Amino acid sequence: MGKVVLEVKDFCFRYRQTKRKALNKLNFKVEEGSFFCIIGANGSGKSTLCNALVGLIPHYFVGKMSGEIYVEGLKVEDSTIAELSSQIGLVFQNPFNQLSYTAGTVEEELAYGLGNRGMAREEMIQKVAHVAKLMRIEHIVNKNPLELSGGQVQRVAFGSTFIMEPKILVLDECTTQLDPLGSEEIFDIVKELNQKGITVIMVDHDMERVARCADQVMVLDQGAIIAIDTPKNIFGNPEIVAHHIGVPDFVEICQKLREKGYMDREIEVTEEPTIELVKEVLLG
Amino acid sequence: MKIELRKLRHVYPTGDEALKGIDLVIEGTEPVAIIGQNGAGKTTVVKHFNGILRPTSGEMLINDENICNKTTAQCSKLVGYVFQNPDDQLFLESVRKEFEFGPRQIGMQENEINERIKMVSEMVGLQDKLELHPFDLTSTEKKFCTIGAIIMMNPSVVIFDEPTCGQDVEGNQRLRSIIDTLQKEGKLCITISHDMKFVVHNFKRVIVMCKGNVLLDGDTEYVFSQVDTIKKSFVTPPPITRVAQKAGLEKTVFTTDAFMQVIESYRKER
Repeated sequence: MGKVVLEVKDFCFRYRQTKRKALNKLNFKVEEGSFFCIIGANGSGKSTLCNALVGLIPHYFVGKMSGEIYVEGLKVEDSTIAELSSQIGLVFQNPFNQLSYTAGTVEEELAYGLGNRGMAREEMIQKVAHVAKLMRIEHIVNKNPLELSGGQVQRVAFGSTFIMEPKILVLDECTTQLDPLGSEEIFDIVKELNQKGITVIMVDHDMERVARCADQVMVLDQGAIIAIDTPKNIFGNPEIVAHHIGVPDFVEICQKLREKGYMDREIEVTEEPTIELVKEVLLG
Repeated sequence: MKIELRKLRHVYPTGDEALKGIDLVIEGTEPVAIIGQNGAGKTTVVKHFNGILRPTSGEMLINDENICNKTTAQCSKLVGYVFQNPDDQLFLESVRKEFEFGPRQIGMQENEINERIKMVSEMVGLQDKLELHPFDLTSTEKKFCTIGAIIMMNPSVVIFDEPTCGQDVEGNQRLRSIIDTLQKEGKLCITISHDMKFVVHNFKRVIVMCKGNVLLDGDTEYVFSQVDTIKKSFVTPPPITRVAQKAGLEKTVFTTDAFMQVIESYRKER
């Protein structure tokens, strides 16, 4: 294993006024530069874990916590959110929950975190312009964030996390309001950042995307880790899939083709190899 | 039930022309999906169906009657709109109160309200959470709470705006069963969605919007066979359909079973 940038040790969390632990004895490590996906049914603890990784637990959400999380060597519990923000950044599931509600324009919203960090005005203006271009929101920088469509707010939310240049990006189902090609566009940007060495931790229900992007996939069920493995090993294992997770359509196609005896190779989890395989079956 | 739009235009106070003269008829009880890129006008168009928004020009008719002079309250007896963002809709301190609020506004009798609470809460899976504060629900339960609150009013038309946002396998199955149940009760469901798998598995008619106009409107198979046209609206067919198309199969398929049938018949022919 390469350099570990994030380590979770025996981590448990229970929200106030609830009986069940939202997270139950989690142990895992994430390697620098990897693309690490977290999947599981609603209520399995994915968003809670994201909140814990960036320090919103225990600094913002109250509950009973045990165990430790280290981000780039910083113990989350003992570090301030400001200290953590240059290491790890979260794009929220609901972009409206991420807005500062103090900014009058998208430009101010994007600059909000940098302002808190005390960055010089000139530098801020440059960074805002760069991120607005990257997220394709240049045309709305002077609009009020509350007047935007869901998809536009989601782009602004992405931008305001990217602008902080964290070494680890945590994405919590963050393209649910974007149209299919718009969300692909965002993931192309994420992949580009990942190739430049940024570590990505992503929660998503789109199994095709998970299979395409992930080096490692972690499956959660009722707050516990069921498995951590490569997409092929996860989606190809019926026992793991039984934990209320879906599989990419490609896996279903491959499994049917194998059942019928049209091919006897291992399953594919992504689009291009599946197309090639189907072409072969058609010829065969 | 018949919804009809005639040359409907909508210009927002900011000057943005969101709808550029739409002609559209939706009739009967067959569920309809509306898809298309962000900013295409999907939400703007459905917000006209119950008078939340008013046309800048053109007409909006329900059952051949122009609703332009009716209040949103009058329209909402007929057409219910489930908001995209649950936090825009929920404002009371318990799920039960959310469920009671709408029906009381339209003058529904208390005994009917109570009967409906039982039926609707089971339909949306919140029968054990009626006394909870909506803020204590998970994000998906919140969504089902907003859906329940609208169905409570027993409208003839239910509009879902992005109901699949953040739903897992089970959530999608529940949505499917809600739409099925409503259709059996003779109601018309209109759904905006970016989730193409959900769209092809649940809807026979799909309307594709692009830049304030209707780009395509028809049978689901027809719509998703027009790959180049739908791309203009930032939409791609679902994965299984793409594999079939790119592997050179001529038929547009949406399920593994249909996919396998095409493969088998292809192999037999050879």
